[in-house]
Amino acid sequence: MPLELNHELKIPLDRDSSARQDFVSQLRGFILNDMAASMRNAYEESVAPAFEREHGRAPATQDEVHDAMRGNTQFKFYSSIRYNAQEMVWRSVIPCVERALPGIEATIERLSGSSGGSLHLDPNLTIPENVADLPVHLMPGGYAPSASPAAGAVYDNGLAVFSAGFMGKNLDDIGLSMSNYVKFRHPDFKPRKILDCGATVGHNAAAWAATFPDAEVHAIDVSASAVTYGHGRAESLGLRVHFKQMDATSLDYPDESFDVVFTSMFLHELAVRDIEKFMAEAHRVLRPGGMLINMELPPNQELQPYDQFYLDWDSYYNMEPYYRTYRDQDPVALLSKAGFSSADYFQFVVPQYSYMDPSDFVAAIDAPQRIDGQTGRLSASLQWFGFGAWKRP
Amino acid sequence: MSEDATRRQAFFESDAVDQLVTMVLELAAEQWVLRERVYTIEKAADSLGLPLSASVENYRFSDEEKAALAGMRQTLIDNLMRSVNREHRRLRPGTL
Repeated sequence: MPLELNHELKIPLDRDSSARQDFVSQLRGFILNDMAASMRNAYEESVAPAFEREHGRAPATQDEVHDAMRGNTQFKFYSSIRYNAQEMVWRSVIPCVERALPGIEATIERLSGSSGGSLHLDPNLTIPENVADLPVHLMPGGYAPSASPAAGAVYDNGLAVFSAGFMGKNLDDIGLSMSNYVKFRHPDFKPRKILDCGATVGHNAAAWAATFPDAEVHAIDVSASAVTYGHGRAESLGLRVHFKQMDATSLDYPDESFDVVFTSMFLHELAVRDIEKFMAEAHRVLRPGGMLINMELPPNQELQPYDQFYLDWDSYYNMEPYYRTYRDQDPVALLSKAGFSSADYFQFVVPQYSYMDPSDFVAAIDAPQRIDGQTGRLSASLQWFGFGAWKRP
Repeated sequence: MSEDATRRQAFFESDAVDQLVTMVLELAAEQWVLRERVYTIEKAADSLGLPLSASVENYRFSDEEKAALAGMRQTLIDNLMRSVNREHRRLRPGTL
């Protein structure tokens, strides 16, 4: 079922819209669990054996898996239905946003500054091609069509439908899980300034502000729409976050000014050259002893060929052109190139903080960790993958 | 926030199958919306002590109501046919 958003920009839904969103969300749950399991069975029971009979070996790469799967009926239905469901996510929320937009704009205006946060737009910012020219995630119009908060609202409400209840009580579970990982894993580390890059509507930046209430939290995104909406969203939650329209590959912050630079599901939206630029910028703005921490899908080098193929579906069919090129990278090499030492690299998996007792969460992050085909997947046994590096003092 | 006119992904040998998948899913979604509303109406009427079923069977639509229903029916058809109608829509922009 879709998440019911818990902030003042939430759109009151008529019964038909609510029923339509419930249907789409539940359909996605079925696709990501039942249909995904059936597709894997089809691979193991039929597609892989046929490949082995023909080649005398198992498929060795995700491309071989993908090519072998293309003719399989289960793959075709999984893909066709998932593609349609993605379109239906946006179709189920856009009319609601269009009706509610004047109210959303008025609420943002009314709440602005009420919780101590701020909003700074940069009308002269050049919107990068990966945002300006692409309907990423098949979202009509993309993320930065104008300064109107409409695109931000579509994203927030669409994500609530899309996530089928897997992303926390206010779509903030990634931020909560990552920030609480830092808090409990490194109890002596007390960040004073935190920067969330590619923050969209700040749903995870708000979580960092909740976990570290004494810290100054900044959230940047190239989309004026996203940060404007995010500003109102954070203010309504009583969380102090400073939103700025800014490109993460060219940060307008002084050297050594943050203790944490955070990203969530951001790197896979960038071409490798831009990931390198961003990481160099992150290294520059971090204080010695600070950390860059990224929540992402696990790198392909950690996964079996079928799991690589499964996760990279989005790269081919969900308007995520950089998804695979990012996941093919070696994260240690990326960070090293940006100035971090490979000796200061870390990676981890965490369960979902929102759905468990904090003591169980602490026990889980101290337990031996395993990356597998479930890591990062929206499914019933979801766990998040994180990686990063400390900036050497 | 209109949908892009770019070619949609296809997974089956014939695009027609992908288009049929779209139609079936849109139909299923709207069928569910309607089913939930009917269920709600029945429950709401029960809670009010209203003999709703008999009134529904005997009701006759006015011309205005018929026109309203025709408009709703057209929206259902537009959604149901959105995949097969895309080429046509591109050829005649603004007509649909």
